[in-house]
Amino acid sequence: MGIDTVPPLITAQINYLLSHCPFSVKVEQMWSGCKNPNYLDRFTLVIPYCLDHIKWDVTFNAMYPLAAPDVIFGPEDETFQPYAGATGKSSKNILANWNSKDSSQLHSLIVELRDAYLAYQRRRIGEVDDERLKFEIDTMLAREGIEMYMSSGTDKPEEVKFAVPLLDMDFNRLVAGSTWRHPQKIYLQVTFPVGKKYSTAPPPRLKLISSSELKALFSTEDFKLPTWVDGMCTAEYLPNLEQMLNSQIKDAISSIEARRKFIQSLTPHFGRPIEADPVFCRKATFLCSSQTFTFLVHFTLSLQFPKQQPAIVLQSSQHFNSHGVPVKSPNITECPWSPRWSPSEKADRMLEFLAEEALNFKKYCNQLNQQ
Amino acid sequence: MDNFPIDKIQISGAALASLLHRASSAVGDTHGYLFGHAAVSTPNPLSDHPTTATVTSLLVATITSFLSIPSHLPLPPPPPATATTCLLGWFSARRKTPLRPSLKDSTATLSLSSSPSLAFTPQNSTLSLPPSLFLLITTPFQDQLIHTHEYKAFQYKGSAFEPKSLCIVNIGPSFRSQYDSFSPSVELPAMDCELKGPNAMVEDEIDESLAGKKNQLKDQKQLDLCAEGFEIGRLSKLMGAEAAYTTEMEELYDKMLAKIDGLSRLVEQSNAKVLEQENHNMRLRSRVAGLE
Repeated sequence: MGIDTVPPLITAQINYLLSHCPFSVKVEQMWSGCKNPNYLDRFTLVIPYCLDHIKWDVTFNAMYPLAAPDVIFGPEDETFQPYAGATGKSSKNILANWNSKDSSQLHSLIVELRDAYLAYQRRRIGEVDDERLKFEIDTMLAREGIEMYMSSGTDKPEEVKFAVPLLDMDFNRLVAGSTWRHPQKIYLQVTFPVGKKYSTAPPPRLKLISSSELKALFSTEDFKLPTWVDGMCTAEYLPNLEQMLNSQIKDAISSIEARRKFIQSLTPHFGRPIEADPVFCRKATFLCSSQTFTFLVHFTLSLQFPKQQPAIVLQSSQHFNSHGVPVKSPNITECPWSPRWSPSEKADRMLEFLAEEALNFKKYCNQLNQQ
Repeated sequence: MDNFPIDKIQISGAALASLLHRASSAVGDTHGYLFGHAAVSTPNPLSDHPTTATVTSLLVATITSFLSIPSHLPLPPPPPATATTCLLGWFSARRKTPLRPSLKDSTATLSLSSSPSLAFTPQNSTLSLPPSLFLLITTPFQDQLIHTHEYKAFQYKGSAFEPKSLCIVNIGPSFRSQYDSFSPSVELPAMDCELKGPNAMVEDEIDESLAGKKNQLKDQKQLDLCAEGFEIGRLSKLMGAEAAYTTEMEELYDKMLAKIDGLSRLVEQSNAKVLEQENHNMRLRSRVAGLE
């Protein structure tokens, strides 16, 4: 018997959960609750919620893997009792009718519990005695998919966070050839302080957050949020924000096309790229030679392309440093550039520039090797 | 259901030790019922200071015994309450888990504490108390030599778990106050306490009537439950003004010890059989679960 075995029935449940879950759930650690500590049957699930994570411990029983698991929620959620509302034995939940042969059961349980958790947070926030918050909830909840979370602790000030999904667009379809597994979204995080009495309510904290994989297309950090006018509510703030965001997303998507065209226009001069990012066209590498000197050219294209020129790094195929690593040039960002040039003109100027730069780089490589 | 706050939860050191042992020797997780009694007591402050005159009555629950089964089996319907023991609540013992109620714990506790048929009446009171105690037993995440167990007691009240401290009661001078609430729980058959002389005629009369014989047989059965081979006649003699009182009493005590001895031997033998069967079952289960 090997060390650290997960019973097959439990493995099947976890695998189904990880591959089918509509949100990106992770297993953080696994350990054993048996007398024989080699059978792993308990684990922590990290579940995305309201742009943050909640951690739930799931306990199976390796000795009786046919039995339903149990879930222990976070320490701040002791009042979260999802099945307490149902009356006694009549409650029809997955745990009561657990079927270990069906490996989708854990998945259904976690999805069901996360929905119950959302309802629980909504109920808690509804009970907060704060006029503005009540108004915000009433005006905002017409939008779909809003998640909310109330953080309360002795060391932290009480606040309510909303995660408002923006722009009803399907990024996965807009970006041709994307390999994203989960639907990509941009959210506005709105954080209201509660529990204190203010003469004039302070503006909420606002932050634009995108799902992590979307960063290859659009940077939320570069986006300048419109100002929040005193006395405003979120429902008023959103339309303007969405309009601005919408035009910038369109720019970002057209920027992909501009990058693709640029890479394609380099092909007549440099040959086909030996490596290129086919989805976002952020990177391309060409193999070049200047007389007998062969080297690689790495192009890195920013999200602001074509406004911002590409960054270039040359890498020799013939010179190596003392550790056996190929010699690379520093990052070259100063090349002749104008966004108004046509793609073919850009490529012509790039060829001229690199022909000169190749000689400098060769000299640099030779000097390094002589030392 | 209205739920009254329990002021104090007591458990004997032996009962807690036995519970912890059961939890740690089990193959997997276990759960089960907690039995005992509850009483409303009015503590005697033993002080003549006038300010302490306010008398508060405390609701004290004492855990005396438990029933445990592996967690994957559902809890059976609880046995009916007797005059001396009632169902106080339940416990859940799970290794290496956080010391807070889980989803199953809250559901089971809610179901127990909201069933009116399980409510009982503590002594010296007219309250109706549901089985709302929950004792959680876990082990630390890192194996340790000395600190091997963690436990926390709760009362489920108003759809929330209220942590309660658990007083461990042992024998010794510091636990003397316990004797105030002591109530014997061994039931000897009720004996006539007629002041009568050693009148053979009267005794014969009683013995020979059919009803008398039936009664005698019933009493003997009840006595056999707590003493091994002590005739009912000898017990009834103890009620009178007999001479050999001390020796008879000692004899009864010996017979009671013998009974306990016999019972514990039976428990030992059946436990060994259960363990053997458990090990066999576990091998079969491992095979089914694909662990072999």
